[in-house]
Amino acid sequence: MSLEQLNSNRFEEIIYDNCEPSLVIFSRKDCHVCKEIVPMLEEMKPQYEGKFGFYYVDVEEDKTLFQRFSLKGVPQVLFFREGEYRGKVAGKVEEESIEEKIAEVLGV
Amino acid sequence: MKRTALTQKLLVLGVDGMDPRISQKFLAEGKMPNLQKFIERGSARKDLHLLGAIPTITPPCWTTLATGAYPGTHGITCYWRQSPESLDAVVYNMDSRNCTAEQIWNITSEAGLKTLVWHWPGSSWPPTSHSENLSVVDGTQPGSVNMGVAQLDWEKVIVATPDIKEVRYAPRVDKPAGVGCIIADLEGTLDNEVDDEMMELWWGDTAREGGEIRTYVMDDEDTEVVIGSKVAYDIVNSPLKEATGWANAPEGAKEFTILTSGGVMRRPALILKNEAGEYDRVAIYKNKKAEAPIVTLERDIMVTGIMDDVTKKEVTKPACRSMKILELDSAGNKVRVWISNALDISNDQLWHQKSLYKDVVNNVGQVPPVSLIGGEDDELVHEIFEPSWAIYDKWQADCLNYCIKEKGYDVVFSHLHNIDCAGHQLWHLGKTLPPWDHTDEKTFQGFIEKFYLQTDDYLGEFLYLLDEGWTVLVVSDHGLIVGENVPPILGEYGGLNTKVMEDLGYTVMKKDENGNSIREVDWEKTRAVQIRSNYIYLNIKGRDKYGIVDPKDQYDLEEQLISDLYNYRDDRTGKRVVGICLRNKDAVLIGANGPECGDIFFSIEEGYNRLHGDSISTSEGYFDSSVSPIFVAAGSGIKSAFTTDRTIRQVDVAPSISVLLGLRYPAQCEGAPIYQIFSEEI
Repeated sequence: MSLEQLNSNRFEEIIYDNCEPSLVIFSRKDCHVCKEIVPMLEEMKPQYEGKFGFYYVDVEEDKTLFQRFSLKGVPQVLFFREGEYRGKVAGKVEEESIEEKIAEVLGV
Repeated sequence: MKRTALTQKLLVLGVDGMDPRISQKFLAEGKMPNLQKFIERGSARKDLHLLGAIPTITPPCWTTLATGAYPGTHGITCYWRQSPESLDAVVYNMDSRNCTAEQIWNITSEAGLKTLVWHWPGSSWPPTSHSENLSVVDGTQPGSVNMGVAQLDWEKVIVATPDIKEVRYAPRVDKPAGVGCIIADLEGTLDNEVDDEMMELWWGDTAREGGEIRTYVMDDEDTEVVIGSKVAYDIVNSPLKEATGWANAPEGAKEFTILTSGGVMRRPALILKNEAGEYDRVAIYKNKKAEAPIVTLERDIMVTGIMDDVTKKEVTKPACRSMKILELDSAGNKVRVWISNALDISNDQLWHQKSLYKDVVNNVGQVPPVSLIGGEDDELVHEIFEPSWAIYDKWQADCLNYCIKEKGYDVVFSHLHNIDCAGHQLWHLGKTLPPWDHTDEKTFQGFIEKFYLQTDDYLGEFLYLLDEGWTVLVVSDHGLIVGENVPPILGEYGGLNTKVMEDLGYTVMKKDENGNSIREVDWEKTRAVQIRSNYIYLNIKGRDKYGIVDPKDQYDLEEQLISDLYNYRDDRTGKRVVGICLRNKDAVLIGANGPECGDIFFSIEEGYNRLHGDSISTSEGYFDSSVSPIFVAAGSGIKSAFTTDRTIRQVDVAPSISVLLGLRYPAQCEGAPIYQIFSEEI
């Protein structure tokens, strides 16, 4: 299940206005690690349907968002809940760390 | 020997950078009525001068005030201390454990007097007495209480208009004056060299543990006045549009977005209409679902004590901020808001006893963050920088009065940094010199006046103590001059000054392929370096890591260097710019001798000196400014309406406090009591 791409304004709407608990992967098309992580997230997405949103930002198309979070390098997965930033995981991460982080952010 | 005390209660009101000459200018104009009352009810020299210790640098002079000893004796000889490892590096120096002279507050507390040392930037932290009567608050940097350890975020200016299409964030932008905070070229504004942790680097835990700080001052761009007058802060641009998706947005409100915490925190905000249909307020919310705002701002009013969560290095904490509307279009087409840095409200690490922190914040209020942005941008100086200090001054006065009235302190040593902080950013603009001829000296002279007037308000908060048996001493460490000329690249306190020493052939820098100097000393060819405010070190074999000068040649080389310095002519004016030069052994004459004072002491000549530090304390500058510190005493034990011709030295203050309180003198004291001003023969 593919991830919805967010631009700057859609990011505002989903993450902040709707306060949806979500993760957003900041990735780049030609990044090898991203090519491993993105499919993994796509695979995880259905089991969180309705509970936790999965999105992506292409850092080349949306430099503003990349710079706004003072990020250095991709991939980085940022977590949000109730419009608040709740931390990130960077680089080549395992499915388990994502699951743990989601559980932590949801407070379960 | 026991003496009878002339007072039981004593307050030292220290004001960093307060200059008697410029004070007299405003006194004569009737603009400092509270200082006038202290003078009328007390004693001072007619010119209000205190003869400052040398060097005229903050930590040495405050340490001299506290110990009655000269810098060569107490060992705090500049802002930074020479690195024991490297001739071109400095290390942290506002650590009481480096001080080799006894502080007067140890004597007062050990004699049973409840003593408070409040943010005294010279050998106060950590406390050096175990007496339970001694309380110490910060003093690890000159700025404001907790500034060095509790900052979680940076100052920012938010600009929102309907034309801005998306939220943009640019960290730490050096904004040229007059450009309107719109991020046109985001890439161009980002500087990878930006140091996010300047406060920590200078005054934080690593610095306090002795990490080397290596700064080369090679040309005008590296000097403090040029760096200090640039303003750096985060800029946020946001669309300004109809409010949508809010739980509770008032009719007609428009929304915009504020980012904090390096961009990771987002706060939605609304501009609100009044009954006449004009936009006149800004309300900032945690999120759009929140029922009530975090704060509602009105035009022209700076609000402090605003609590909000801030995230730094992935940790989120509650912090205290101040905010102000800079501009709000009544028709709702533009808004600009300033947000202060954020102070961690849980940080009590520099409070002894820690319970005092709780008492102060619960009874007086959270530490208000001061602004450090202003510089050449006169709007920010007028709207933000100066008012933020006025708020801080009042908070500090309330804290000291709370401690006096409610906590029963008998003796208080206090320090306020407002004038010096402003002086380092603004005073050089008090004369329009070629490098800053885009500014107007009248504007900045007006700011100098504003800072003296707010200081007078601060002093006024303590006048009542004269009717309650207290003795009050108004003192400073040094004044600051408005420079007559652009100073030479010599005597800048922040690091290694290379240009003049390169011209004279003593310091040799490595060269790039084009033959230009790079930021690395060529130690194989360097015979001497000039580092910190007033010191020259020869590069001696066997003593220094890369030494090349034979110790038997030291005396002759010193002689040659001193001659060369006297003969040096400034390339802009053709004039001599070096004042006095003394070998280390001869510098005992001015108390700037000993192991921490290099091989040669020198000063910069009047007229060519910078704000303070590089010159002797009798130097005067433009706009009736001087490097001299001030001294006024009033209250119990002090003659009323009395002037003395005596030269009052900075070393005389601590022994005078001893006499006033009937206590012994500090162990290494080199000064003498100012007996002429006491109400009784001693």
